[in-house]
Amino acid sequence: MQKTYKASELEVGQALPDLDLETTATLVAGGAIASRDYTPVHHDKSAAVSQGLPDMFMNILTTQGICSRYVTDWAGPDATVTCVKTKLGGPNMPGDTLKIRGKVVSTDGDDADIEVTGNNAWGNHVTATFTLRLP
Amino acid sequence: MPTTLHNEAAIAGIGQTAYSKNSGVSELSLATECVRKAIDDAGIEPSEVDGLVTYTMDSSDEVEVARTVGIGDMTFWSQVNYGGGAAVGLVAHAAMAVATGAAKNVVVYRALNGRSGQRMGQGVSGNIISSDLIHWSWYMPFGLLTPASWIALQAQLYMHKYGATSEHLAHVAITQRKHAQNNPNAAMYGKPMTMDDYMNSRMVCEPLRLFDCCQEDDGGCALLITSPERAKDMKQKPAVIRGVTQASFEGQEQMTSFYRDDLAALPEMELAAQRVYEMSGLSAKDIDAACLYDAFTPEILMQLEAFGFCGKGEAKDFVTEDSLTIGGALPNNTHGGLLSEAYMHGVNNLAEGVRLIRGESCNQPEGVEHVLVTSGVGVPTGAVIFGQD
Amino acid sequence: MSDKKKEALEAEIRTYVGKPIGPPVTGRDPVNEPMIRQWCDAMGESHPAYLDAATASDTVHGEIVAPPTMLQAWIMEGWEMHEGYDEPKNEQHRLHKLLNDNGYTGVLGTNTEENYTRYLKLGETVTALTVIDSISEEKATGAGIGYFITTVTTFTNQDGEDLGNMSFRVLRFKPADGGASQAASDGGGEAAVAQKPSRIKPPYGHDNGWWWEKVAEGDCLPIQRCADCGKLRHPPRPMCDACGSQNWDSIEASGKATLHTFTVIHYPQFPGYEYPIISAIVDLEEGERMASTIVECAPEDVSIGMALEMLIQEDEDGFKIPFFKPAS
Repeated sequence: MQKTYKASELEVGQALPDLDLETTATLVAGGAIASRDYTPVHHDKSAAVSQGLPDMFMNILTTQGICSRYVTDWAGPDATVTCVKTKLGGPNMPGDTLKIRGKVVSTDGDDADIEVTGNNAWGNHVTATFTLRLP
Repeated sequence: MPTTLHNEAAIAGIGQTAYSKNSGVSELSLATECVRKAIDDAGIEPSEVDGLVTYTMDSSDEVEVARTVGIGDMTFWSQVNYGGGAAVGLVAHAAMAVATGAAKNVVVYRALNGRSGQRMGQGVSGNIISSDLIHWSWYMPFGLLTPASWIALQAQLYMHKYGATSEHLAHVAITQRKHAQNNPNAAMYGKPMTMDDYMNSRMVCEPLRLFDCCQEDDGGCALLITSPERAKDMKQKPAVIRGVTQASFEGQEQMTSFYRDDLAALPEMELAAQRVYEMSGLSAKDIDAACLYDAFTPEILMQLEAFGFCGKGEAKDFVTEDSLTIGGALPNNTHGGLLSEAYMHGVNNLAEGVRLIRGESCNQPEGVEHVLVTSGVGVPTGAVIFGQD
Repeated sequence: MSDKKKEALEAEIRTYVGKPIGPPVTGRDPVNEPMIRQWCDAMGESHPAYLDAATASDTVHGEIVAPPTMLQAWIMEGWEMHEGYDEPKNEQHRLHKLLNDNGYTGVLGTNTEENYTRYLKLGETVTALTVIDSISEEKATGAGIGYFITTVTTFTNQDGEDLGNMSFRVLRFKPADGGASQAASDGGGEAAVAQKPSRIKPPYGHDNGWWWEKVAEGDCLPIQRCADCGKLRHPPRPMCDACGSQNWDSIEASGKATLHTFTVIHYPQFPGYEYPIISAIVDLEEGERMASTIVECAPEDVSIGMALEMLIQEDEDGFKIPFFKPAS
């Protein structure tokens, strides 16, 4: 099994590998339904258009789920997420490439804070700080 | 007819509104309030005012202000261009009018909903005048969209060339924040700042952090300018204009003069310095306090050099924890400045210059005889020296 | 709005602070493998502790657990959400309706904070209690003037054991732009815009349009030259400041340059640009200076005086613009 980082092995400023995620209608709708969020703007383009957007857009839980996956895929299976602080930005829609980037911003004992940004052509979609408890 | 503006005019009244993040009133309301307060401060009637000067950027026209305040006949009005670079220009235009008899009592003003309305720090992407667009188009497509980004380019080079660091910038920001703690009208009143607070503030445009940048505020500020003789009969102790000038230097652009030989200097400020010192017969050693324009902290370092308070590249040694406050080499922006009082486009710095002459600053140094006040940095600008009657 | 009316509104919204939005809500299904697997499919999760009992036992979790960010999903209302909330169903809806009816028609999710006490185990039933925690003073924001409303939700299991909490902050605002940024839904943190943004384009006037056209057509960087005395000038202007001639042509720059100064721009962020941007003033080999952008270089590797070479960047919309990268 993949090894999990210890906090002492991390350096502040250390970057996580880039993840460029192609956003599809299936991903947006699938993520919304998997999180039991049936708000129409997340699965029905016409509902989003009637609200002034060009297309249906990703819900917050999907964004958080993907970012969480991005962080723990890197940190290893024994990393436990204890806190997520999220700052929300512009929409992420089918056709957008969500460029997910992360870096270590601080460590404290066995804990580490990882800052994740997700940007697309519209600008910043999400900035999140994940606090991990590491072995 | 006078041939210079030396001792030809004086500031006899100052007026300001509350400074806030959301005034809840129109810009015209702010303008008329501060104009009326400046007139009341001088102890004259609105009908005695016969001239008005403001910024080209101001939305409150002279005649609208005159009609609302109850100013009657006017024989002089004018507007000065280039944002914060206009501040001293207002005083220069008013002083010329007073000196030549074009008007007797001129009020200059700037009022803006700078936070709740049109925000300056948001850059040039929005409401842009079409004749300007071609100019800005050499910068906008490259992401250079805000005053912070343009100044950062110069600051980066200045710091690289002379070894100035964030700590030097911090001394400017922290000193002015400290001054604001004695100024109940300051936006940063009750919000002191430590070196840690400064260092932890987010990077905006490297090397500028958030706390290197001035605020955005709503409010208005005005000054009443008259002849030194008439000022004697008014209510306040006047601040006499010893020297005043506008200054634009070869190769000047409105905020992007990137094509000159030395970007780590402010040649338009050097021109202003030479002119006001010559007109006043004074030099840097005669200046007891200053209100140097402070939209961004590195501007203070570069102005200290331009006005001869220290040699080129030496501002980093001049600026210490206590050099810019009472008892220091040059008490500067004793009200908090644009960084910590409010962003009134520099007119509030002129008002503080007047208070320093009157002996009424919230952080009043002893024995202030001459005060230097400057306009916007990196723009066509100006400087004025106030003296005692 | 008159001061009196506003005072009355503020007094009324303050009565909501501290109120639960309604009775506690319990999830329809206990924590279960099918829902976890469906979540993992969508999120691209392959975490050993979420998907398989055998591999989960090799992790610190020891058994199958639910992904932490799934916490709220266990209590979501699901299907009935598609009907919307025109008729307020709880105190939160009533608060939002009150503000909406008073002109605060925009909604923008701005921040969340979730604390996970521990990961959830199979079979646990999740109950959530949401309280309106605070309402800010009226604030001026980029979107318009409005109130930040923070709700706090606490999560417990069938034994009353603490599972974690979530705070969610939304801005309820009067749109500054007359409604263009009206938000999409109470849950959506996404401002609406009508067209995909791209970098701000130069207008093509007499004095500058030719320059951008040459960039686009010739994939080159032109420099204006006085046709009489030969002096170069950038940015282009209609007269030579040395000899007064209005005749000009242009040369093609070699593309070699050195970095005169730069700034790494983080804020504010404009749509159509990727941040951080390394914006720069470069000295062209020919002696002229220009503003540009440095690419293919990390911000920490940029230094004043570094050698650069030009490249033509073509945006998604076909706009071409000369950028610089470190010289090879």
